[in-house]
Amino acid sequence: MYTTSGDFYELLQRYQAQTGVRVPLLQSVNAPADPPNAALEIHGTTVIAVKFKGGVLNVGDRRATAANAVMYDRADKIIPLDDHTLVAIAGAYGRAMEVVRYLRHAFKYYARSQLQPMSLDGKLQEVSRALASNLPNALGGIGLFIPILSVYDPDQDRGRIFFYDVSGARFETPEYGAAGSGSERIRGVFDYITKTKGPFSERPMEDALREAILLLDIAADLDAATGGIDKVLPTARYANRDGVFEVPETTIREMVQAIRAGGNA
Amino acid sequence: MLTPYDFQENLQQRAQYIRNRLRLGSPVIGISYDVGVMLLALKRRGRKVYEIYDRLMFSAIGNQADVENLRLAAIDFSHQEGFVRSPDDVTIQRVVGFALSPALKKAFGDPLTTPFVARALFAELHETPERDQFYTLNYDGEFLPYERFAVIGGTNSAEEQATRYLEAQLSSTPSFETSVAIALTAWGIAYEAAQQEDIDTVSEEAGRNRLREMLNEAQLELGVLERQTLRENRFRLVPQEQLEPFLRRL
Repeated sequence: MYTTSGDFYELLQRYQAQTGVRVPLLQSVNAPADPPNAALEIHGTTVIAVKFKGGVLNVGDRRATAANAVMYDRADKIIPLDDHTLVAIAGAYGRAMEVVRYLRHAFKYYARSQLQPMSLDGKLQEVSRALASNLPNALGGIGLFIPILSVYDPDQDRGRIFFYDVSGARFETPEYGAAGSGSERIRGVFDYITKTKGPFSERPMEDALREAILLLDIAADLDAATGGIDKVLPTARYANRDGVFEVPETTIREMVQAIRAGGNA
Repeated sequence: MLTPYDFQENLQQRAQYIRNRLRLGSPVIGISYDVGVMLLALKRRGRKVYEIYDRLMFSAIGNQADVENLRLAAIDFSHQEGFVRSPDDVTIQRVVGFALSPALKKAFGDPLTTPFVARALFAELHETPERDQFYTLNYDGEFLPYERFAVIGGTNSAEEQATRYLEAQLSSTPSFETSVAIALTAWGIAYEAAQQEDIDTVSEEAGRNRLREMLNEAQLELGVLERQTLRENRFRLVPQEQLEPFLRRL
């Protein structure tokens, strides 16, 4: 009658088989001969994850683009998956949101049915599986997205950051991660910051937030698709021992104003 | 002598069998308070109050395997619906009325299957306490909605007596502290009433005595859904150290 493994994917497959209702997540497209028009699909741009002492912080701009058109200026690309986990997404917005919805349900379904939370490794593997099953779409030129997973690890009392490639390979990074069109151009800045000011994981949250907003500003300067920090405030969320929280808009506004007032135009 | 199959007699026997087994069950008290909804129960070994979905929780008395069946069926339905449609479409009346009740009715009426030995209480959290909802679900598929509070116990009389007590004690929107204190006494009354079938009105004192006695062999379990929380999950089991002050005051 029910799944015994707490596997949400299995539940959806059974639902599809029983009802005949096609679950979009389980369908993949056949790769077309010519890549589809890039303007068909909306993409989220730059997201940044940095550690701080006792947790991990994610910051993202709000822009979503289709080819070189700005489609949306209020996109939220940093989404809590559960009380310890944040996901930041760059790339195909539609597919990414579907997978995020899937992951939120998969983690909770497991925890509620099995009466224990899914292990960190289990969660990471679930993300890999979602990406691997999305590979045919990505190869077909539609639905390519890259997530960064930020986790507060209660066993080690610290934040951890994992990034993925399009086929689902998983890598843990020691201090920071970034994805999206602006991310490649600011990689050197991360290194400069850690080498001159010390590791992010040793600094307080406010420092990490300030650096991340500044990094986003630099990304917007160097990448036309990144929305930056002025027109619409970026979103920031963090995970620590107490849970997952959103940084209040007023805090972000003050920080942006301070950055501008400090001559960092 | 072999008698021909009598449908009515069969149902009566099945109901009698189930009621006998439920009578020893440990009651569950549900109360909607200012900042949340609670389900209070006593557990001997395993868990007793469970999270079903974002705003839905459940507890039941009866056979452990049957309770588990109900729980997993409710979780499956909720997550399927929540993903394919929206979490907003997962409501207590859909889960209880459409996903679970017909299956219980079918098992109860089918002479070739064992019926569910279970009576369940569901609680759903809303934006305001007036809109919170409770549903009881019976072994034969019957379900009933309640507001403000609800009780399941071993017998009808147990439920009625606890309900009368709750009705008299609870203000329109009680606080967490008063709700826990009232729920504890209501639990004692419901349990004592199920054991003493010849007594129409169990006194508060007798209820509390019975509760104190039961707490020697069982542990209090309090599940809450929180109306305002920064956490991703609204459901949590209240930790034992937070329950200690209430038990000391008994």
